[in-house]
Amino acid sequence: MPDELAEKVIGILASVKHIPREKITLQNSLAELGFDSLDTISMLFELENAFQVSIPDESARSIRYVHEIVDGIRTLQSAGPSKPPAEPLPTN
Amino acid sequence: MPHRRIAVTGLGVICSLGHNVPDAWEALRAGRPAITPFDGPELAKLRFQNAARVCNFDPAAHFPLTMVDHLDRFAQFALIAAREAAQDAGISWTPELRQRAAVITGSSIGGQSTQDVQFWDVYHLGRERVHPLTIPRTMPNAGASQISMEFGITGPVFTLSTACSSSNHAIGVALQLLRGGGADIAIAGGSEAPLSFGMLKAWEAMRVVSPDVCRPFCRDRKGIILGEGAGMLILEPLDAARARGAHIYAELAGAGMSSDAAHITQPTVDGPVRAIRGAIADAGLRLEQVGYINAHGTGTPGNDPAETRAIREVFGPLADRIPVSSTKSMHGHALGAAGAIEAVATLLAMRDGVLPPTANFTEPDPACDLDYIPNVARTARIEAALSNSFAFGGLNAVLAFRSVNS
Repeated sequence: MPDELAEKVIGILASVKHIPREKITLQNSLAELGFDSLDTISMLFELENAFQVSIPDESARSIRYVHEIVDGIRTLQSAGPSKPPAEPLPTN
Repeated sequence: MPHRRIAVTGLGVICSLGHNVPDAWEALRAGRPAITPFDGPELAKLRFQNAARVCNFDPAAHFPLTMVDHLDRFAQFALIAAREAAQDAGISWTPELRQRAAVITGSSIGGQSTQDVQFWDVYHLGRERVHPLTIPRTMPNAGASQISMEFGITGPVFTLSTACSSSNHAIGVALQLLRGGGADIAIAGGSEAPLSFGMLKAWEAMRVVSPDVCRPFCRDRKGIILGEGAGMLILEPLDAARARGAHIYAELAGAGMSSDAAHITQPTVDGPVRAIRGAIADAGLRLEQVGYINAHGTGTPGNDPAETRAIREVFGPLADRIPVSSTKSMHGHALGAAGAIEAVATLLAMRDGVLPPTANFTEPDPACDLDYIPNVARTARIEAALSNSFAFGGLNAVLAFRSVNS
């Protein structure tokens, strides 16, 4: 059974793709749900907003399944809230 | 009836590699990228930290301060490149020529740096007024209009916007205008200054920007590096250029344009194939005459294999013999200015017989199996060359240049 976090993720996917949430299971791949590259970056944007996390590009590229998204969000949340670097970078 | 042949007689450029043609060409020949970290505390909040910026640039060194007030950075770049190109071509402006001259520029986003600052004040600081020069600075045709005012050009002047193909479309349309007799000389190219914070955040969200450098066609490529700048060409009929004794870089022999009509951001192979074939056919070239291709070569997962397949499909077995490089590895992706900067690189390569390399090259992606001139420039006599631009929106424009010495 999907827990609360998983339900929230599924809700976001449903809303991004404009499909009923009942059609989405944790075992679905994004491809099966019809997500193309633009749907995927829109989903990442909504996930970052909803969970107050920052999803690195590298992780984003490797995501294939709904359960991977749920696991990834859980990991990012346990690592604490995202903070931008405080100091400006050196220039050259 | 054969159409008028059109020559390139002047070049101007400003980009991260240099503020003029000699400096930029020296860096291109040396395979030396100019990709540096941002400065400014808010820019540290970005997921990527590098861009191909025009550094050490002081607008006041180029324009009176009253004029600077009227010019967004993208229009400043447009004017600087146009001045260099016009000077290079040695044009003798007469009232008649000014009426018969055209300016056609490309820009993807126009003066959005200006808009970014002004709208920040309204939305965030609660200011009640926006600066009155916001509109004339922001409009994408500001660059073309400022060039027309600088030189007193009163013929056709306009700007077109096709994202990353903007300046190739502009140069291609200028070619057709000159062939058709709609003008006798044209300043054509493009300019862009997209490194405002809002734009950078938008690119960040697209997840196509590399966190380090741009490595086109490499297995470990991570995306584009955003750039800025301008490139401008002077185009005129070949016979007129010869009659006035102008230096001729090459003939702008053809342009090919196509639309994928498929996906707003994902490229196809077929669209680029038709644009490349169109340019070759328009130029009346045989495939074996093409000795260099300046690739679109963004360094994204999507573009590089698709472009490779498109080149293979057009050239067949000949593709293995054609050197291809992406100079975006050095000057970044300057969006609407990219095609014009790359046209300048291509024309200088033809002039000097030196092919600029693909810099930052590590090992090739197995899906990218052409000769990409890794890291080191190469000497070669080129009879004809292509310069590819493929844009978001599926809009493709390819230019074909032919040496006039052959």
